[in-house]
Amino acid sequence: MIEVVYALWRRDMVKFLRDRRSLITSLVRPFLWLVAFGFGLRASVKLPGAGDDFVSFLVPGMAAMTVLFSSMFAAISIVWEREFGFLKELLVAPIPRGAIVAAKLAAGSATATVEAGLMLALAPLVGARFSVVGALVSLPLLAIFGMSVNALGIVVAARMKSFEGFGSVVNFIIQPIFFLSGALYPIDGLPRALRAVVLMNPMSYVVDAVRGLCIGPHHFPIALDVAVALAAALAFGALARRTFNKMEV
Amino acid sequence: MNPAIEVEDLAKKYGEVEAVRGIAFSVGAGEIFGFLGPNGAGKTTTIKILCTLLQPTSGRARLAGLDVVTSPGDVRRRIGVIFQDPALDDRLTAEENLMLHAVAYRVPRGERAARIAEALRFVDLQERGRDLTRTFSGGMKRRLEIARGLIHRPDILFLDEPTTGLDPQTRARTWEVLRALRRDFGTTLFLTTHYMDEAENCDRIAVIDHGKIVALDTPAALKQRVGKDLVTARSDDPEALARLLSEKYAITSSATDGGLSFLVEEGDAFIVKLLTADRPKLGGISVRRPTLDDVFLSLTGRQIREEGAEGQFARLRAIARRRG
Repeated sequence: MIEVVYALWRRDMVKFLRDRRSLITSLVRPFLWLVAFGFGLRASVKLPGAGDDFVSFLVPGMAAMTVLFSSMFAAISIVWEREFGFLKELLVAPIPRGAIVAAKLAAGSATATVEAGLMLALAPLVGARFSVVGALVSLPLLAIFGMSVNALGIVVAARMKSFEGFGSVVNFIIQPIFFLSGALYPIDGLPRALRAVVLMNPMSYVVDAVRGLCIGPHHFPIALDVAVALAAALAFGALARRTFNKMEV
Repeated sequence: MNPAIEVEDLAKKYGEVEAVRGIAFSVGAGEIFGFLGPNGAGKTTTIKILCTLLQPTSGRARLAGLDVVTSPGDVRRRIGVIFQDPALDDRLTAEENLMLHAVAYRVPRGERAARIAEALRFVDLQERGRDLTRTFSGGMKRRLEIARGLIHRPDILFLDEPTTGLDPQTRARTWEVLRALRRDFGTTLFLTTHYMDEAENCDRIAVIDHGKIVALDTPAALKQRVGKDLVTARSDDPEALARLLSEKYAITSSATDGGLSFLVEEGDAFIVKLLTADRPKLGGISVRRPTLDDVFLSLTGRQIREEGAEGQFARLRAIARRRG
């Protein structure tokens, strides 16, 4: 069982490593945000709790965003494998569906975390300053977040028959998660309605914890952040497994 | 010992459309059993139910005594499936594809490398093990899938249209491999096809049309059922010959270029009778056994690849595809 999960996980990792281009392009988005948004607003905006350094303030949010986009789009492999037939080979094999889902989550989250780690390693090049130890400690939390996002992606992908369909639904989901997460602004002092939505978004807690670990200021207790991230991963993971159990080809 | 496959009153509905309408058959261990029918007749739906990929609407199917609905895990361990469309991971190498399969089917660790090498040799791909499968031709992919089907030594191997889209040479080679598989491993083969000549390779054939089995027998017996052979005779005086046939033997013949043709039971024996009778001069005579094409025509009144049939089933197939 563990061996099968490992073999399936390894399969996705091998393909990830063979495809260098997607690794590089995944870094473009966070750096575009850091440079354009970070430097663009640095002079004119002073955020309460953000200090003077808006670029560094954005880094944790960008790390979480990298994981959000990468893990979500990693789930497109399900659509891909359905289109090119490999999914049938998986579903007809004597592997528990839960093992297939576990391998997918592990791979989707691992590739996203590698990308986020790389993004964090390169962020000092544009002048961001943060705790290296804090960033390293953040990586497991980002990996847990990656699993919950990937699970959500699988739930969508399992119902999609086309790449276009997956892309449009996922974009519809991903934008509010990103913009209503506190990745771009502190949660303190938000209008009540907006704050209520942000509090319901698991990504807010992930960003909060990573920000606390990397640059100091944070809103919730870190233990609460971790608990929410774990609960989201378990809930979405269970949902993904249920979806897979019912899947027919 | 249980039969390899037992199906009772199996039906599958997609909404209002009945893809499979209550079929029953059983397949013995080591048998090569074929499902013959036009596209959309219900062949792929049946195979998917037997492989645990689809739930039947009603009825039962058991593989080696195991119910496909209640014990899918046990069924999956015993079967191999070669799908109509390639189901390889084309961004992995041939060996990586086979290794993943070996792990998934719990082939003992120590035997994996040897089985992979053996399987690749079996389908003549030993030189290409380290190549990405996306570089393979259609025939090579199909052969690699057959190799994959061998890795875990399944009791029953399902093949959905195993040689569709392959060139004649590759088709012949594929059949060599399949026959060797039965000979060397005693594997039961269940296949679907809409090629008549391919169906001839089976021990028994179920002819399926509109989701129902319309005939089930050996290819020879099915052809026997059509009964008559087609005799074509050349003659300088076809009218006289036609008269003789109708008066003496009560056979209706039809005119062809330079002669006539007619259907008769045991054509070879009839030729001898005709030659020794008082008859007009013959320029030549030939007899052809009925083919499975003739069988299908006589059972359904349609050619298997008639355009009309295609159109009629297009809707059903579109639905089947939407369902995956």
